[in-house]
Amino acid sequence: MITKYLMTTAAAAFALSVWGAGANAASKWDGGDDLPTSPLECGTGAAAATAPVKYDGGQPTNPPNNAGKEITIVDVPKLIGIGYFNATSKGIQDAAKELGNVKAKTDGPTEAKIDEQIKFIDNYITSGVDGILFAANDPVAIAPVLKKALSKGIHVVGYDANSTPDAREWFVNQAQFNGIGKAMIDSMAKESGEDASFAIVTSTFTTPNQARWIAEMQAYAAKCHPKLQWLETVEAQEDNNLSFNQATTLINKYGDKLKGLFGMTSVATPASAEAVSKAGLCGKVAIVGLATPNAMKPYVHNDCVKSVVLWNPIDLGYAATYVLRAAVDGKLKPGDASVEGGKLGKLNVINGSEVLLGPPFIFTKDNIDKFDF
Amino acid sequence: MSIATDTAARGAPWWLKRHETLLAIILILALIGLGAFNNRFLTVDNLLNQGRLMTEIGLIALPMTFIIITGGIDLSVGATVGLSAVMLGYSWKTFGFPMPLAIVFALFIGGLAGFVNGFVITRIKVPPLIMTIATLALYRGLAEGVSQAHSVRGYPEWFYVLGQGDIFGVPTQLLILIVLIVIAGVALDRTTFGRALYAIGSNETAARFSALNVDRTKLIIYTLSGLASGLAAVVLVSRVTTTRMDMGMGYELDVIAAVVLGGTSIFGGSGTIWGTVIGLVMIQLLKNGLALTGVKGDATIVVIGVALILSVLIASSLQRRRE
Repeated sequence: MITKYLMTTAAAAFALSVWGAGANAASKWDGGDDLPTSPLECGTGAAAATAPVKYDGGQPTNPPNNAGKEITIVDVPKLIGIGYFNATSKGIQDAAKELGNVKAKTDGPTEAKIDEQIKFIDNYITSGVDGILFAANDPVAIAPVLKKALSKGIHVVGYDANSTPDAREWFVNQAQFNGIGKAMIDSMAKESGEDASFAIVTSTFTTPNQARWIAEMQAYAAKCHPKLQWLETVEAQEDNNLSFNQATTLINKYGDKLKGLFGMTSVATPASAEAVSKAGLCGKVAIVGLATPNAMKPYVHNDCVKSVVLWNPIDLGYAATYVLRAAVDGKLKPGDASVEGGKLGKLNVINGSEVLLGPPFIFTKDNIDKFDF
Repeated sequence: MSIATDTAARGAPWWLKRHETLLAIILILALIGLGAFNNRFLTVDNLLNQGRLMTEIGLIALPMTFIIITGGIDLSVGATVGLSAVMLGYSWKTFGFPMPLAIVFALFIGGLAGFVNGFVITRIKVPPLIMTIATLALYRGLAEGVSQAHSVRGYPEWFYVLGQGDIFGVPTQLLILIVLIVIAGVALDRTTFGRALYAIGSNETAARFSALNVDRTKLIIYTLSGLASGLAAVVLVSRVTTTRMDMGMGYELDVIAAVVLGGTSIFGGSGTIWGTVIGLVMIQLLKNGLALTGVKGDATIVVIGVALILSVLIASSLQRRRE
């Protein structure tokens, strides 16, 4: 009797999942998004200049004129307490100190959950800040609360992870997606060979940045390194343990076939490196990924990892603060082509309402010790 | 009630020593305290907005109160929210259901998820804790499998009225919550259904021998729990304009915290809807008030934890004094 019920339930659950999986079998489950891609030229070719795009951001409604006056801003990253957002937060504090007329603080959820992040932003709107910096956990879900901020005259600037353009004034783009895609794939092809098979450890398939990068990597690989073979993309949240387990599973599952691992987050990359080290496969399985230098130093120094791709997150937070200040002061208006970024010099406006930080940076054994974050 | 005579003998009115009354007093004191610290806290705007934000947890907390009163638990509610949200988006976008039908479908899936819990718990006698831990994983897995982790966006404009609009200045979903609170409160307080829940929680065997249909009652409350999770999913999707498979993750703990803080005994047999509502409001306003006063997120969690422990201590010391 009992077994009969259990069997029925199990069968029903199985049928339901097969039905679910079957219905979507047409689209490849690779972790990329469905948006169009624009792979860069192969080799060392420079990025082609693109035609300027019309400003597509949103503007605050009747913001108070705070030009030159002291303002209070809050930074709500995806989550707090990880190296990466500690670094952006440091950049924000550096810029605030340098500017002298900005009071900044960082606060946010302890897990990368969009509904928690919305509540934080909502509370800061009520408490009456002059400006909000954010890194979105979901580009669309965060939009209503950001629009609410704009409607109350609060300046809103994003960095690291964008929202829909009309929900913020500016977005500081740490590196163009196709630039990262190219740097990652080129490094992998160089280290593991042109016909290697590789797998990807990412955060979740819905995280906008990671999904975009993977789509661009795929496009660039198809264009410039067509023999590289994609095995699988796995989700590991931004969780250290889970990332390690997922990487270990990939190593065991594919064995000798696996020649390379991509880590798509600052958590997944060191965890993947650790998994490869523990499996004794240093030199056999190449690891290329996005990560903060401090976490990668041990693996770079023992030659397990040769290239770590990233931008400088301290500069990212720093630039975001300068952009917000410029928007408050009226020095960065819709249609402008560039903005003054303090020690970073002149930053260019791209894609209508984004400010570009610069090309991605590749940390290697030779330069990694110069960085501490 | 023997409590009434006991406490009357000590000279204090019985209602003053009830857990809910104490909680309500603490809540009012906390409100005044936080209001004094920050002039943006006790404003109609902020309070209504907080009502909007707490609705999803509140909707699920009502049937959860029923379940915990019977001595059960439902840990799968967060995963059910995720599954219903995905089904809402999936049926609308992929099956091409019209939006109203998609909403009904999402509610149906939520109810079905709860029914499966109740069915296995009552028929196969799997302990609720184990069954709902299993379905927590199962439902979340289904949500991920069906959606292939793709988000669904671009719902029709009118659908957002539910999560973002208001009626006579009150957030739409808060009105729904208030109506359901009243219904749940009356059902628990004034009906044989409500009394059956207390009877099951106090002594299930005795309840069975008193000719109460224990299994049917349990089946109903677990189905209600799934249904409420489905409704919470619809409200949540409408509020944040997008469907994600990770929606509702961790809700089970927030819901249980509100119910337990409201004085419902985790061992079953006692508890009220009014207590749950006070617990819910207390957690939400504490979080909000502390945030507005400049306390950071991580410290706020600590305060909530301390509040929970204090509440349990108060409840158990009250219990001892009664005995």
